[in-house]
Amino acid sequence: MNLRSESIKTNRRVNQKAGRKTQPGIRIFQLILAILATLFALYPVWFILLAALRPGSTLYTLDLLGMFIPTQFSLENFKAILFQEPFLMWMRNSLFVAGFTTVACLLISTSSAYAFSRMRFFGRDFGLVLLLAIQSFPGVLSLIPIAQLITALGLYKEYWGLILAYTSGTLVFCTLNLKGYFDTIPIDLEEAGMIDGCGPFQSFLLIALPLARPAIAVTALFGFMAGWGEYVLASVILPAPSNIQTVMVGMYQMANSRSVPWGTFAAGAVLIIIPVLIVFLYLQRFLAGGLTLGGVKG
Amino acid sequence: MPSYLLYEGKEHMQRIHGWRKFLYVLAFIGPTILGILVFSVYPIIYNTYISFTNRNVFHANPDCSAGLNSIIEPTCWPVFKEHALSGMGSLFQIQMPLFKNYITLLGTIFTPIILLALLRVLLCFIPLLIASLVNRHYRKEYIPPVSRSVVTLIGVALTVILFLVGSPAESATLTQTGVPPYKALLLDGPTALGLVTNSGDFFIVVFRTVLYVICCIPLFFIIGLILALLLNVKNLPGRSFFRVALIVPWAASNVAIMMSLVWKFFFQEVGTVNQMTKLLFNAPPVLWLNDPTIAFAVCVLANIWYSYPFFMVTILGALQSIPTELYEASEVDGAGWWQQLFQITLPLIRPAVIPIIVLSSITTFQMFGTVYAITGGGPSLGAGVPGITDFVMVYAYKQVLQSSNYGLMGAFAVIIFIMLFIATILSLRITRITKGAEG
Repeated sequence: MNLRSESIKTNRRVNQKAGRKTQPGIRIFQLILAILATLFALYPVWFILLAALRPGSTLYTLDLLGMFIPTQFSLENFKAILFQEPFLMWMRNSLFVAGFTTVACLLISTSSAYAFSRMRFFGRDFGLVLLLAIQSFPGVLSLIPIAQLITALGLYKEYWGLILAYTSGTLVFCTLNLKGYFDTIPIDLEEAGMIDGCGPFQSFLLIALPLARPAIAVTALFGFMAGWGEYVLASVILPAPSNIQTVMVGMYQMANSRSVPWGTFAAGAVLIIIPVLIVFLYLQRFLAGGLTLGGVKG
Repeated sequence: MPSYLLYEGKEHMQRIHGWRKFLYVLAFIGPTILGILVFSVYPIIYNTYISFTNRNVFHANPDCSAGLNSIIEPTCWPVFKEHALSGMGSLFQIQMPLFKNYITLLGTIFTPIILLALLRVLLCFIPLLIASLVNRHYRKEYIPPVSRSVVTLIGVALTVILFLVGSPAESATLTQTGVPPYKALLLDGPTALGLVTNSGDFFIVVFRTVLYVICCIPLFFIIGLILALLLNVKNLPGRSFFRVALIVPWAASNVAIMMSLVWKFFFQEVGTVNQMTKLLFNAPPVLWLNDPTIAFAVCVLANIWYSYPFFMVTILGALQSIPTELYEASEVDGAGWWQQLFQITLPLIRPAVIPIIVLSSITTFQMFGTVYAITGGGPSLGAGVPGITDFVMVYAYKQVLQSSNYGLMGAFAVIIFIMLFIATILSLRITRITKGAEG
């Protein structure tokens, strides 16, 4: 990953040297295009922010200006979502479920990622392909069996049931991401360790794992966000009452209830989306650099 | 190299033999395999089993005295007996004929007329196949050499012509008895396609989903390409701001359900679009999402919003790895901007773009949250018929949770899984995501 960003940097330097003057007409066209695209990209997020800050439990404003810039300001909607709805409960449930999912998934998948990257065993490459292909069975279609299984284990309407289902769902993603990173770590250190008498467990725990810390952090955050935004399984395993729901299910039901408090909804949406935005925008350079596409080197 | 080495790499690394090696490997990958077996492989087996039963809202509970049931149904196991389902409804059982659910789903596809109509539609694609074959093998042998795009264009044109010609009016008479089935071959493309898609829920659902993918992917690519080219302009003012701002939708796709509800709100009766048209043109409110075409288009639009940043970022990365010398050299040779785009940029970003197109096609095919939150599968075309945006996953979710058609959806899941399994295996060969450390 480092090598790659280095090469991009040098490339950039070269490119800047070669930069030529652009004609003003073309420059204006470029800017207009960029601004239009930015409006398209940001408006939905900007819109809920405006709606959340508007007083009254309604999104309906009939002044054109109010649709683009904040004309009024009130925290009424935030008060409503925090104290009149079980929103804090939902957040707690989601944090609990997504957090434990991430921990469980990492505990299990780091070792298998290490094995798939380093070890030589029968059916390794084929096994990885098979894992991915099996994983391609979409969650929506395995709803019935998974719900059945969770019920049999007595975990229906329990957080642990959802955690179990999520963990197995993100296993392959975590394994693949971490494997991609282990692949980029030179094996020499472990080799040296083995000459000094390390066994496989020691060289995994003491040498490879500390080196993979950045990848583990990033994988953890992506795993967390996957659990945070999931809806289908959560709606089946934790359907009711409203105080055990996760935040996505709660908000979805709120948006589809008979008289929707849209302003309150918008405030909740802001509280959910802003942390995700910040974390993601911080992480996206890892995404572009090597995680999802790390395995796609020719 | 001897196969008993535990590690990839050089000869002198740890040699571990036989059973010990097996135990080591098992210790490392065992938990993952177990998780996959229980929560991914078992559901597939269970689904296959369910697809042969008449399980639905009336026959909801397993009959634990039946042989196969007591094995495959976890609530029948003595350990889990206390959590067994107890409710109204009688027991479900394996039904005869065995493939009844599959037949219900695939409808009349196995009658000669429909099969021939399907053949009629597939025949249209032969010119395209020939064109790609010519492009791959024979193009260079012609004198003078033919351009790749000319061959492709001819192929597309012939396909369209083949699709449109034929006798249209016979579809009504065709389904009656006594008409020789070969007449289906003489139909025009749209009528034949109509016959196929009307033969059962499965085909219409898959057809619309594929149509959705075909609408989405080129738009992802074009918008992603334009914005990547824009961000690649070195001295664009505010470039780093635009780069971050344009990625925001990707971040929002982590909570797709939430943002899709906002998209839904834009197009509601009292939503933003109607407010704007009222303010600007004093137009009466329109129920946008009740119009089939617009509902479909809104789903495409929202999906573009989520997905173009992925394309943009990938293409931008590929653009930045193209050596500038190529452009400089071509400029010396007098190449214009378009020529550079088609002769240098597009061929060089191809290796980066093909994998994401494949991956995106598969995820778009499985799109659930966005579509479900915006239209809920609607607008409806009548009772018992899939709605316009009832794409594969939306349809399955609604059938399971709203209609409790478990047996039928088991069959549906099996067929879709076979399709996705093949697509995934093929795509992995293209994207090479599973290459080992030595690759």
